Formats: sequence, C-alpha cells, structure tokens
Amino acid sequence: MDAVVNVRGLRMSYGPHEVLRGIDLEVRRGETVALLGPNGAGKTTTLEVLEGFRLPSAGEVEVLGVDPARGDDAWRARIGVVLQNWRDHPRWQVEKLLGHVAAHYPNPWRTGELLDALGLSGKATAKVGQLSGGQRRRLDVALGVVGRPELLFLDEPTTGFDPEARREFHDLVRGLDTTILLTTHDLAEAERLADRITVLVEGHVAVSGTPAELAAAVRAPSRVRWRGGCELTDDPSRLAWELHQRYGGPVPDLEIRRPTLEESYLSLIDRSAA
Amino acid sequence: MNGTLSLGVRRGLIEQGTLLRDRKEAIGQLVGGVGVFLLLALWMGGNPAGGGVSMATFMAVGFTAFIVFSTGVNSLPLLIAADREEGALLRLRALPRGIPVYVTGRAVSVLCQILLQVAVMLLAGVLVAGVRPPASPQAWLTFGWALVLGALSVVPIGAALGAMMSNPKSAALVLGLPSMVLMLISGVMIPVRMLPEVVGRIAQVFPLYWEGHALRAAFLPQSAAAAELGGTWQLGTAATVMGVWTIAGMVLAPWLLRKVTREESGTRQAERRI
Repeated sequence: MDAVVNVRGLRMSYGPHEVLRGIDLEVRRGETVALLGPNGAGKTTTLEVLEGFRLPSAGEVEVLGVDPARGDDAWRARIGVVLQNWRDHPRWQVEKLLGHVAAHYPNPWRTGELLDALGLSGKATAKVGQLSGGQRRRLDVALGVVGRPELLFLDEPTTGFDPEARREFHDLVRGLDTTILLTTHDLAEAERLADRITVLVEGHVAVSGTPAELAAAVRAPSRVRWRGGCELTDDPSRLAWELHQRYGGPVPDLEIRRPTLEESYLSLIDRSAA
Repeated sequence: MNGTLSLGVRRGLIEQGTLLRDRKEAIGQLVGGVGVFLLLALWMGGNPAGGGVSMATFMAVGFTAFIVFSTGVNSLPLLIAADREEGALLRLRALPRGIPVYVTGRAVSVLCQILLQVAVMLLAGVLVAGVRPPASPQAWLTFGWALVLGALSVVPIGAALGAMMSNPKSAALVLGLPSMVLMLISGVMIPVRMLPEVVGRIAQVFPLYWEGHALRAAFLPQSAAAAELGGTWQLGTAATVMGVWTIAGMVLAPWLLRKVTREESGTRQAERRI
C-alpha cells in the first residue's frame, strides 16, 4: 500500500521551547489514523506542518508525495482541511459558502447532494453564524470534503459535543470514503474511528499501532488484592499462582483487576511525561 | 473550475451583498456620510469658494476623495482584521488559489462600496444642493480615472495595514488618527493654500492629495487651477504618484497577507480565545 503521509524525524521549536521532538508517522491510502494525546502534546502542530501552515525545524515530511512547504494549488486541491473551532464567514449563507469553496476545486461534489448527505439541507439558506455547534462542525466537514480530497485532516473534530452529536459525527466520518488523519484527546473516539492510533505525549510518539496492538503495548500493571495484602504486577496470573502455593489452597478474598484501556492510556501518559 | 479572477469577483459581490443586507454600520455609514455632506452643502454650499465655484461643488470633491481614501485605508483594514480574527483568511489559505481569490474579492467589495457611496452622494448633491457635475466628456474621463486610480492606490495599502493589525479594535484606534491628520493637510477639506508651505509638501507625498487634485481638475473650471499649489493642473504627476502607491501596495500586500496567515494558525486562534 502506498503511503499518503510520510513523516520522519519531525522536529519543531518555538524559540527554546521544543514542541515536536522527532515524530515518525505514516498514513497509507484508504486508512484512518488517529493522533491521540493530551492537550499540548503537539497533535495540532503536527497537523499544521502537514497542511503546510507551519515550517518544521527539522525532519522529512511528505504529503501526497510533496513537501507541504512547497505545496502548490494542484496539491492543495487534493487535500481537505478541517481545523479546530472555525467561526469564519458568519454572515454568509450556508449554501453560498459551500458553493464558493466548491468552485475552487476541479471536480467538487454538488452542494445540494453534500448538504443532504450531512443532514444540513434544511439549513441551506441559514446564515453560517446561526448554526448550532454540531451543525457548524458538519458544515466544516462539508467544506473539507467538497473538493473530493484524497486526504482529509480533521483536528479535534468533536470537542465540545454532547454524546449524541458525537455519535452522529462518528457515523458521518466512518461513511467518508477517503484517507483520514485526525487528532483527538479522546481514546474512545480514536478506538471507534481509527484503523491505527499513534499516541503523542510531549512531542514524541509514545506508542503506535492498531487499537488491539495498542491495548497490548500500553497495558498498565494489574492490581492483585487479597486478605493479606495488595500488589501491582504485570503478570497477575503468576502472582495468583504463587499466592495459592503460599496459602496451600484457596487465597482468602482474592481479587484480580486488569486495567481498562482508558486507565492504561492515562498511566502511559503519566509515565511518558515523567 | 472557475478562473481565479471571476471567482474573486464573485466572492467580492457576495461579500458586498452580505454587507448591505446584514451590516447596519455599512448602511449607517452610507446614510451618515451622505447625510452630513447634504447638511453641510445646504448650509454653506451656496457661498462662493473662489474661482467661480460654489462651496457645494468644492465640498463634493472633498467628500469624494474622503470616501475613496477612508474606505481603502480605514474600512478595508478593519474588514481584513476581522477576517483574520474569525479565520476566513486561514480557511482561504487552505484552498487552492485561496489568497489571490481573497484579495480580488476584498478589492471588488471595496470598489463596490466606494462607487455606491460616491454615486449616492453626487446624485443627492446635484439634485438637492446644486453641485456642478463635470462639465465636459473630458472632465468625466478625468473623474473616472481619478476615482479608479485613487481607489487602486489605497486598496493594497489598506490590505497591507489590515494584515498587520492584530484585531479590528486596535485597527480602528491605530488608523483613525493618522488618516484624520492626512485628511486635514491634504487640501480635500481645507484649501491647501491656507496651510503652511511645508505641510503642503508633506501632503504631496501621499496619494490623497493627488486624488483631490485630480478630482478638482474634473469638477472645477480651468480658472480654479490658479488656486492650486503649482498654479496649474498637474494630472501627469497625480497619475504618477497614485500609480507608484498602487504598485508598491500590490507588491507589499500579498506578501504580508501570506506571512500573517502562516503565523495565524489554528493553535494561535485557539490561544487567543482562551
């Protein structure tokens, strides 16, 4: 499979402050990859380098075979960008803005079709500034995909959504037929949407893989508790066996608790940040 | 795919439409500016301004120059600073041909605004206050190119100023005073002969003086030339100075806009909202 995004050793500093400390990242055609990490981990900065909005301090970056810093109009026409909290063009009508953005591309979706597909057809003549948060976000996605991009960047797409809006949005993203690189600080969102997840912590890649690989790689210690004590261990089964031998039979009040993926992820962040 | 120019023109017309429909201040500005002119013209317009010209005609020329100048150097930077703050500039930067389309669109919307205001004011002035329109086809021609070149000489400068302003409020504060001073010394409100000679020399560096000069050549009879600084109409010099400002601005503005949108990334936008 060919790589749509290829990043090697990406570094980025603002003055003395190092935001990205050598990131490797690959996105292959057709897959959805999530950049997962806490706020300030460098997710958005990484995306902005890939979008050509920022120049990296060091490293190799290729997006659709082109260095984003040199991306021309033909290259721009092949990518779609949905940034965080957009509130631009508040006085424009929804369909006028979508039509105007569509006209920048050689082979755009028809705006009516797209508004239908995103459940916005009832809002076609509404002003952009009067949409609800969820509607606005769906419009942002419509504006991002209207040019039929080969690659779509989604930055924190569901921040501030209620659970229902979030689920609807996830269905929408899963229905998109394109390569997607998204950022999120929500593990559940990354698990639901992404084929592969790359966890960023403080500007470096802590771990990367499929959700299942991730779960195995990041598993935090399990907690084994019994009447005589409590212990954290990576191998709870072995500890239980040892306890049984020690007691010569059933262990009183034995309790083994494996961490959830969420707990493992949070513990990974703590460990990586330390 | 549409041509960049036609896309920009369409963008400008849509912007102008939303401005007229939604922005109370745009309509307020139109009614206010024309209203103040009519009041002044009716109050003292009947007095002779020298050279066989009524005060009303002299003021009509001054207000025309004022409209061209202040729309370009005051209103335009405010609009651009607002576009920058809301994220419209960044969105356009993410589109193929976005920045040229944006600049064209803003130039078109500003030209529309200037033409509309000047037309309404002159029409009202001629009908109500006895303003004398240009007397010959040649004078109309001078009026036409003075208006267009005057607008072209301030629009790129206005765009560059707008690019440097961090937000609309500071733009209004920073730009208000210098442009007011320039209005006073450039002979469009007060005949420049009434000011010290050195002030006239300074005023002649800026396009506003020459805009007023060329407009007076269009509206006033030949005999009024004696009241000018050089004692004759210097249309060649007027066109040259305005042309130099136009070219300098056109070189400077796109470069500055690209520079600030590179800095104006999503993270920066999010930071400012916190």
